[in-house]
Amino acid sequence: MDPFDQETERYLREFQPRAIQPLKVGPTDKNIFSRRLAVVALLVLLAGGLLWFAHREMARSKEAANIRPAKEKVTREQRYPSALALTRLALEDNEKLDSVLAKQSREVLPTVQGKQSMLRVLAED
Amino acid sequence: MQSIRLTTDEVKSLYQKHGATLAAYACSCGLDHAAAEDVVQQLFLKMLGEKTFAPQAPVAYLYRSTRNASLNLQRDRRRETDLPDTEPWFIHPNSSQVEVLTLQKALQELPEEQKETVFLKIWSGMTLQEIAEVTETPLNTVASRYRYALEKLRDHLGQQNKK
Repeated sequence: MDPFDQETERYLREFQPRAIQPLKVGPTDKNIFSRRLAVVALLVLLAGGLLWFAHREMARSKEAANIRPAKEKVTREQRYPSALALTRLALEDNEKLDSVLAKQSREVLPTVQGKQSMLRVLAED
Repeated sequence: MQSIRLTTDEVKSLYQKHGATLAAYACSCGLDHAAAEDVVQQLFLKMLGEKTFAPQAPVAYLYRSTRNASLNLQRDRRRETDLPDTEPWFIHPNSSQVEVLTLQKALQELPEEQKETVFLKIWSGMTLQEIAEVTETPLNTVASRYRYALEKLRDHLGQQNKK
């Protein structure tokens, strides 16, 4: 090679191209697919969770609706003993029957003991 | 010559090795440095994105693509604005900006083939034999192009120094 050429070459090599920014690599197709898959899975889980919750709530409210009348029945039976129970009690235990009837008469029948009771007022008239 | 599919790492490695030189080459085709960077980035991102991309000679392909993209962009932009010719796309630790700009102007005035040969030889570190192979040009032609290019550059730089 010509010595002039060598010298020119050496001179040119002293110059360096200006640095440029690193390659801005965005998400690849593979990454995009994975992200989409993750989002879909999350949505499916969320929808499944909501459905399950709604289903459970419905089942609970149905159960509660079924239980309420039964409870009311039990309470009414407890407050007012049936004729069958009273008959059985009369046959088996008279004393207890008396106490039950006394209690029921106190709770169920209107009181005549009070000063303002209707019976007392009528009696005084 | 066989086509080889480049991996992501290979493309990144090519970018590290030739990216800055390609940007300077794009500048020598008439672009400003920011546009040149964009052209080079786009080119490499396209290489990464294309699943079937397999150039026979990646470096030669990069130079050709950079030149084509730069010329297309320059043609579109020329209608809009005049390009600055005072922007340095080379750096030199000891030289003034005037010297840098003189070299840039000298490079811009070279014919395309000679300019490409100089860039490939000086800043991409290829031998004349390798340049002949990747550009599919006879070795003698490449050597002549290089010799003429150096001569023109020397003349241009010498004239500037005399001034």
